[in-house]
Amino acid sequence: MTARVRTPRKPPHQTRTLVLDTISHAGLTLVALLFLFPFFWMVSNAVRGNNEVLAVPPRFLPTEYQWGNFAEAWLRLPFGKFFLNSFIVAGSVTVITIIVSSLAAYAFARLKFPGRESILVAYLGTLMIPQVMLVIPLFLIVSRLGLINTYQGMILPMAFSSFGAFLLRQFFLSIPKELEEAALIDGASRLRILISIIIPLSLPAIGLLSLFTFIGQWNNFLWPLIVVNGMDHATLPLGLTMFQTQQGTSWNYIMAGATLSMIPGIVLAIILQQLIYKGITVGSGFGGR
Amino acid sequence: MADIVSTQAKTAPRPRRRNKISAYETRTAFLFLLPSLLGFLAFMLIPIIASFGLSFTNWQLLAPPQFVGLSNYIRLLTTDPAFFNVLGNTLFFTVEYLVLNIVISLTLAVWISSLKRGQRWFRVIFFIPTFTPTIAVSIVWLLIFTPGGVMDYLFQTLALTVPNLLLDSKLAMQAVIIVTLWAGVGYNMVLFNAALDLVPQSYLEAAKIDGASAWDRFWKIRLPLISPTVFFGTVMTAITSLQVFDQIYVITRGGPGSSTATLGFAIYTNGFQNYQMGFASSLAWVMFVMIMALTGFQFWLQRKWVHYDS
Amino acid sequence: MKTLKHLAAIAVMSTSFVASAFAQDQVNLTWQMWGSNENDIAAWQHLADMVTEVHPEIKVTLQTSAWNDYWTKLPVLAASGQLGDIVAMQSLRMPNFYAILEPLNARIETDKFDIGAFDGSIIGGMSANDEVYGLPYDVGPWMMFYNKDMFDAAGVEYPKPGWTFDDYVATAKALTKDGNYGAGLTPQNFSLFSAALGASYINADGQLDLANPDAVAVAARMIDLVVTDKAAPVVASGADPGAFISGRFDAGNIGMYVDGPWAMIGKIDTVKFQIGLAPLPRGTEELAAVTAGSGFGIAASSQNKDAAWKAIQVLTGPDALTFLASEGRALPARTAQQGTWYDVAAADVAGAREALEYSLAHSATYRITNNWNAVENLFNQYFPLAFAGSATAEQTMQNIQSLAASQ
Repeated sequence: MTARVRTPRKPPHQTRTLVLDTISHAGLTLVALLFLFPFFWMVSNAVRGNNEVLAVPPRFLPTEYQWGNFAEAWLRLPFGKFFLNSFIVAGSVTVITIIVSSLAAYAFARLKFPGRESILVAYLGTLMIPQVMLVIPLFLIVSRLGLINTYQGMILPMAFSSFGAFLLRQFFLSIPKELEEAALIDGASRLRILISIIIPLSLPAIGLLSLFTFIGQWNNFLWPLIVVNGMDHATLPLGLTMFQTQQGTSWNYIMAGATLSMIPGIVLAIILQQLIYKGITVGSGFGGR
Repeated sequence: MADIVSTQAKTAPRPRRRNKISAYETRTAFLFLLPSLLGFLAFMLIPIIASFGLSFTNWQLLAPPQFVGLSNYIRLLTTDPAFFNVLGNTLFFTVEYLVLNIVISLTLAVWISSLKRGQRWFRVIFFIPTFTPTIAVSIVWLLIFTPGGVMDYLFQTLALTVPNLLLDSKLAMQAVIIVTLWAGVGYNMVLFNAALDLVPQSYLEAAKIDGASAWDRFWKIRLPLISPTVFFGTVMTAITSLQVFDQIYVITRGGPGSSTATLGFAIYTNGFQNYQMGFASSLAWVMFVMIMALTGFQFWLQRKWVHYDS
Repeated sequence: MKTLKHLAAIAVMSTSFVASAFAQDQVNLTWQMWGSNENDIAAWQHLADMVTEVHPEIKVTLQTSAWNDYWTKLPVLAASGQLGDIVAMQSLRMPNFYAILEPLNARIETDKFDIGAFDGSIIGGMSANDEVYGLPYDVGPWMMFYNKDMFDAAGVEYPKPGWTFDDYVATAKALTKDGNYGAGLTPQNFSLFSAALGASYINADGQLDLANPDAVAVAARMIDLVVTDKAAPVVASGADPGAFISGRFDAGNIGMYVDGPWAMIGKIDTVKFQIGLAPLPRGTEELAAVTAGSGFGIAASSQNKDAAWKAIQVLTGPDALTFLASEGRALPARTAQQGTWYDVAAADVAGAREALEYSLAHSATYRITNNWNAVENLFNQYFPLAFAGSATAEQTMQNIQSLAASQ
């Protein structure tokens, strides 16, 4: 994390490096500003009247700032409830994914059993199946289980991603075996070893998996849409589409609601960054997309 | 994928003592895997088998499915006028997007890791689009690209005659690629940036003393050392880009004409808009085979450029 | 697997137990409806309560999804046998979905139900193959919304009932100046204009027939307005071109555009100018103003069809529709109840009453095919090429015709 500042000996070099550094920083800042333009546009549209959103030529700033749109978007729909539902679903999926994936990953990484390689390959194969095709069979299963319009029905089908098991397996493999052997000789169970030795060492990978899982579920749209009826269990992405009605589209409220809904993810990323940062590559570099 | 698995199996030591406790270990392993396997079975394997079965039926959703044998597959390979166009669009998107994504995210990663200050802020900035709800992404970009929108206004002000991307059947895919890049480079950037941080500084110092330029140091030392990470980023990006659907669904709806209709989009339209779930399933299985083939190809190719330190 | 089966068994047992406990005297109906905010849902809940008031033994439980999502969800629910007893249906989707609904002709006849109290065009919209599949609650002819201030500023005469397509083009040209456009067109306007001008886009057998000279001529007139006259902006292929045109109208960039009375309630509060309303322009013959609307059907899979039949009669009864009109929510499908709407939703709109009465007097059932959904998507994909000047009307119509046939 900490940048290694080399101490150059010769003054001419120093000024040259300084100039290059400044150019480099300025250049990337420019790129970042360009990159952030859509967010500027999002917020700028969130605080204007709905009739100004599609004005031609576009107005970069609203003629009249309507900061109340944030409150309006929040109050017009039960957004508090949507936030809570999103938290419950994304949080539970994340927790279950971490537990289930750690257990499975440990078995794949450290235990020998018949069929290990075939099961792992089968897990990996499922990453390549287009998700949209699984929706209907999945819905049939969930409705047989009587879980339509319940938190369980929203959470369980999303909580067993093979991505998590594979990511953690790669990380566990990179942890030296010697660390466990002493504990094994002392008669510690495998579960104890997993909890007290492996998990604490794997926090970076677990942080990364948490972030990816949480964000993925926070923004998940198709599955909640299919499995939720009405407002009681609706999540934020479903809430945002409720501003598109038969009577017209409230562009400004969608933008305001979207801005609000991004806050938890950004906070989480900033919090987890330190933890994650050392984790991604160690497990032979599997992650991202 | 088999490569990773078998490497591990080969290198693992197999002393006799281990074999004796294997029955116990098998039981432990089974218990550890049980929750994952149950979920996998119920929410992955059964739906997958069902979707495979459906690809041999004519299921219109509103009436029970009828078995039609291979006719969905025959239809898409022979009579469907859209299939090969859709296939071409998908491959075009995947190739261009994959190359640009890797180049841009690697450039950003190298650039950020060369900075002395503010690394963490830049990382968060380029990662922000991943938190953005799809519907918001689509609306913001539509407001930018729409005829008479920000993009047109900008080109007009600069007195450039650039056609509107969404109205030109040759350029519309570029609009989709821009949005996908914006939304997706963050993942790989974070990944590569972390890998670069782990390259031992001593290697680079040594090369510097030997007189290697920054360019050489990147190609000869840093890139080979992070190549396993780049490889995994490439494989995952390829898998997701062959499935591209969201951005197309929300931005162009396959148009203008059919210039941005991809396999993922065709699966959705056939299944959920035209209610031909059986045909949609057969398209999904064609896509699955393509993804398998591309992934296999990448694993074959990795021998030429990926450097494993073992 | 065993655990799953156990869980499933328990779930099934507990639901059937609960159901049977109430089955003695009470009927519970589920109502599949769209609704986007608490006001919407409160209004529908009020209607559900009205059913229990009239028939104390019937209790209606509301299940809502947002408007766009409703149509993704409905086939999934139908496919898995989870459909509610009462299903809300829009006339434009009826050809897609009538198979999951109960035919109502026999019930209408047995009960001597007065179907004539509803606007005829929307009963047509709620029917398929001469069989009624739902009772409508609202009806709306597509009409021309216009920016009255822009007309005043340009000194152009307002559109009046009986105006022709040539008047429309002339008006659009006269209003186009200072970067603003006189008219706004979306690809879906094609079928509305075709009907209004008396051109057929569906043949006598109910098959799509876009390549006939009349239909091509209508497409050509629309495309000319954009390409040659430059009096309407180009729209891109996308999810909802109508929302963009409507948004640019709201911003004051477009003088006239086509929409239904359902859009009025949201629009009046948004725009900063006076809105006017006129019927669609006609051709050489009398206007045929096609309508859209929504209503309630009974799921073919329902176990309580008799109760559901009673319930939908209340949901579309005079009291319920008066209530909806007084909330400004819908223009009632029952002719006798329409007066309330003019006073509430269109109180300040110039020409609203006249335009609506004229349109309804000339109303016609909107003719659409079984795969209309797919056809509209093709309009959205292929018209923009013509609007951008890279395809002719004839090529566009032929493309859509041949692609629609393969779906």
